[in-house]
Amino acid sequence: MADAWGLGRAPHRGPSVAGRGDRGRRRLEPVFRTRAPAAWKHVDLVLVLCVAAVSVLGALMVLSSTRGTNPDAYDTSFLRKQVLFIAVGVVGMVLVTLVDYRHLRDVAWVPYVVTTLLLALVVSPLGSERRGTQAWFQLGGFQLQPAELAKVSAVLAVATVLARSEVPLRARRLAVALVVLGLPVALIMLQPDLGTALVFLAIATGTLLVGGARARHLVLLTAVGVIGMVGVVNSDVLEDYQRDRLTNFLADDDADVQASAYNSDQSKAAIASGSINGKGLFEGTQTRLGFVPEQHTDFIFTAVGEELGFVGSATVLGLLALICVRTWRTAQIAGDRLGMLICIGVLSMLVFEIFQNVGMTMGIMPITGIPLPFMSYGGSSIIASWLAIGLVLNVHMRRFG
Amino acid sequence: MSMPVPEDRRHVPRLRLSVLAVVAAALFAALFARLYDLQVVGSDRYQVQAEANRVRTVQIPAPRGRILDRKGAVLVDNRVAVVVAVDRSVLGDLPRRRQLEVLGRLAADLTSAGHATDAGALGERLGDDRYSRYAPVPVAADVPEDLKIYLEEHADDYPGVVVERAALRSYPHGPLAVHILGYVGKINEQELAERRREVAKPYTLNDEIGKTGVEQTFEPYLRGTPGVRRIEVDAQGDPVRVIDERPPRPGDDLVLSIDAQVQALAEQKVQQALAEARARPNRDGSRNAGTTGAAVVLDPSSGQLLALASTPSYDPELAVDGFDQAEWARLNDPANGTPLNNWAIQGQWAPGSTYKPFVGYAALMSGVMAPDTEFVDRGGYQIPGCTGAKCYRRNAGGSAYGTVTIPRALTVSSDAYFYHVGAEFWLQRDRFGGDDAMQRHLVPWGLGDRTGVALTSEATGRVPTAAWKRDYCNRVDCGDPDWRTGDNVNMAIGQGDVLVTPLQLANAYATFANGGTRYVPQVALRTQRYQSAKVTEQLAPQVAGRVPLPPNVRQPLLDGLAGVPRDGTASRAFAGFPLDRFPVAAKTGTAQVDGRSDTAVFAAFGPVTAPRYSVAVVLEESGFGGTAAAPVARALLEGLAGITPLRPVGPDGLPVGPAQPVGTTPGGGYD
Repeated sequence: MADAWGLGRAPHRGPSVAGRGDRGRRRLEPVFRTRAPAAWKHVDLVLVLCVAAVSVLGALMVLSSTRGTNPDAYDTSFLRKQVLFIAVGVVGMVLVTLVDYRHLRDVAWVPYVVTTLLLALVVSPLGSERRGTQAWFQLGGFQLQPAELAKVSAVLAVATVLARSEVPLRARRLAVALVVLGLPVALIMLQPDLGTALVFLAIATGTLLVGGARARHLVLLTAVGVIGMVGVVNSDVLEDYQRDRLTNFLADDDADVQASAYNSDQSKAAIASGSINGKGLFEGTQTRLGFVPEQHTDFIFTAVGEELGFVGSATVLGLLALICVRTWRTAQIAGDRLGMLICIGVLSMLVFEIFQNVGMTMGIMPITGIPLPFMSYGGSSIIASWLAIGLVLNVHMRRFG
Repeated sequence: MSMPVPEDRRHVPRLRLSVLAVVAAALFAALFARLYDLQVVGSDRYQVQAEANRVRTVQIPAPRGRILDRKGAVLVDNRVAVVVAVDRSVLGDLPRRRQLEVLGRLAADLTSAGHATDAGALGERLGDDRYSRYAPVPVAADVPEDLKIYLEEHADDYPGVVVERAALRSYPHGPLAVHILGYVGKINEQELAERRREVAKPYTLNDEIGKTGVEQTFEPYLRGTPGVRRIEVDAQGDPVRVIDERPPRPGDDLVLSIDAQVQALAEQKVQQALAEARARPNRDGSRNAGTTGAAVVLDPSSGQLLALASTPSYDPELAVDGFDQAEWARLNDPANGTPLNNWAIQGQWAPGSTYKPFVGYAALMSGVMAPDTEFVDRGGYQIPGCTGAKCYRRNAGGSAYGTVTIPRALTVSSDAYFYHVGAEFWLQRDRFGGDDAMQRHLVPWGLGDRTGVALTSEATGRVPTAAWKRDYCNRVDCGDPDWRTGDNVNMAIGQGDVLVTPLQLANAYATFANGGTRYVPQVALRTQRYQSAKVTEQLAPQVAGRVPLPPNVRQPLLDGLAGVPRDGTASRAFAGFPLDRFPVAAKTGTAQVDGRSDTAVFAAFGPVTAPRYSVAVVLEESGFGGTAAAPVARALLEGLAGITPLRPVGPDGLPVGPAQPVGTTPGGGYD
């Protein structure tokens, strides 16, 4: 059963890299033996530095948007937690790079099953709800948002499935890949969290495209997808506030400052009022005085825009683009299809998240609650993003292996 | 960078990777484009929005300018008063029950301190969202010092209650010139709405505004420029810090043309004359009501007012904290003479014989009479072509003056002469210029129209015409809508439907005195900065019109008026007055009103050769002009001419020292 899904321990039947004939030997060796010193020479330093830079800037912006207005008692608790999250993310990234990604394929089902189970549990009474979305577990002072981690484990899982399939994909393998991605999406829509579900759609699009799906299948899936989206918007699957946000976006009217458009309006005002040079770190009035709701999480880019201006926000956007470029480049030069598809999964995830999140803050995308990778406050998102970068680094440093 | 190519690259779908790259690049390009659009192209509008989000402004009230008399005596000053206010942001944080309890106690304290209120009224005031959220709402002004101390000492028991200081109006001379000064009060809805666009000195619901008098007409000068405190607020609207503050600037002082000493004398003499009129029975035994009176002094060479007295008066202190209802009712009650009215400009009376110089002017100008035309006054006048009891008009008092020309007719106030003039004007209207031939020569004197003085509620007076009567009788049932000879006859002696205000009368005499230049009576000379006294606006005399006054017309009229105090109807009132040193031209008037005692009227100017003062006195229900009103004018002229030195003004608004009786006398003659 598991074999049929391409997730099991069964010897893979991949057509390409198997040719070297060293498969059997390696499987007998301890996992950590792959930590060959040679691999470290090929670490993508540009990628690591970009991610680090964006994360540090993000942490600063989290501080700026959460420290409050009392100079005698600035609130640094969000900053300290964010730094902790980044530290955990860095450790996670390092751990992910220690294991040769080619070995990960054999254990890819483990994180997938774990996160899928967590997604099932989070919509049970064990999960916590806020503003109509039941998306996380409350663990002491921290929240665990399984959907964030599920994105990474799903990338790994679908890459594993597709890497084992013949190109072009037969309908049955395509269906397996769709089920692997569809299961978490279905659970996420139960929360419901439209934004994160759309991230999975992006992952599916990227990996199926590069993973060798037939053109006619892609066309068919696109058609079904479009019809499905229209159906979802017009059905009662969406909560009212989600539909409101979507329709608000569609009927965007600058003059009409309705309460429901308040988010978008204040967000745009924050970014645009930053002008070219910005108002200076900690000097943004929209940021300092809390005019942008959810600023430290989903709307963190508005703090960049207001305080660092076009110069700063274009730099941040440039760094994010560079991260995507390096990920794409890694996909191109990956040693095998698995590596390539992992990178493509991560790339699709990042590009969609960045475009959707930054686009939302600037009023060209609807408001859906997905975080900006590496910058938005939140442990699950930060850690998941760093883990994803760990996967890309892993593929990059072992491209000759 | 040399890129080692793996042996087997068949797994790399180059085209599809490129498609993905292009899509990603396009999405990033869209983000960059939008970023540029927002931050570089469209930033300005959003900067305004962001600024509007965070900045709230609070106005800091500025003291009003003072009001001074022409010599610098302070008539209206400011004093510092204690104001109790409630900071809603503090009170609002309390539980509802505690809020009501605090307001209840505050209301009780205020009530026992003389500011009657209750918790409901306070709550309603605090609930008015037009008050700025960032400044305490005042609930009582001018509370006693001991309540202030009590509230400060028990601040913990009165959360949100703050005690502030504010500038209130004070009146060093009490009721002196109150009708000129007017009063200030809380701005009302309509006034606020009318001034919504005011930019330089914007109004808020808390502000005071001039309601009457020069407080109203010079409001733009007197009002200070409010200070502005800019407060930064957060998204909840809670204040975070004060960004900056522009201090308030006091309004400009207003220097009146009024001379406080002359004004005090005028007010005192009018009051005395009315009191004497009330005390003295008339010849027929009837009593004078002596209710209201007014006296006006102005400078004919410029139109500047030196005094404008109206009686009864009231204490402007009553207005400081707002009139209470009983006071308001009393001050508006006609039975009390409506003390709030400025009778000098709002009162309209028939001028009686003081009208005759202008009728005489009309007669000479249109050729009804020549200066040397002789008329035999037999003590009465039979209206030509008229049959019935009312067609024979007797002179007032019944005297016959024999053969008179116009100077003598004025001096002795021959009714018959002017009856004849009025009748001729109507009967020979085809020859003299139509229905309004007489009226056309009265209007240029400013009769029947507002003088335009910068005071509130000025009345127009009335110069009746045939057209007016027809129109009036269409609206009000007045019997005969047609203008008759009798109407012109009545009008010619300042009776019938003729109405003037005391100010109009004084200004018409001033116009005659200066040779025909009619000024807009001027109540203020200039505005100046509060401390430096730097003049900010010099108010020049303003000419309203010119009356053609050829010497051959003016001289006989002047001769007639100059005779009045010498050997005419005011000779008794002016007995002992040094007319050789200070020659006075004058005219008495006694207007009969059905069912009431006579209105005493007197108008004068002097010195005749180079007139510096024009005076008008009107005393309602007080008897004869020559005996009741003329002594008031005489007392004023004595003061103005330096015959009886003017005395300083006391805190009660009256000249210090014992008041000499006006010396109004019973009897005398009709005029």
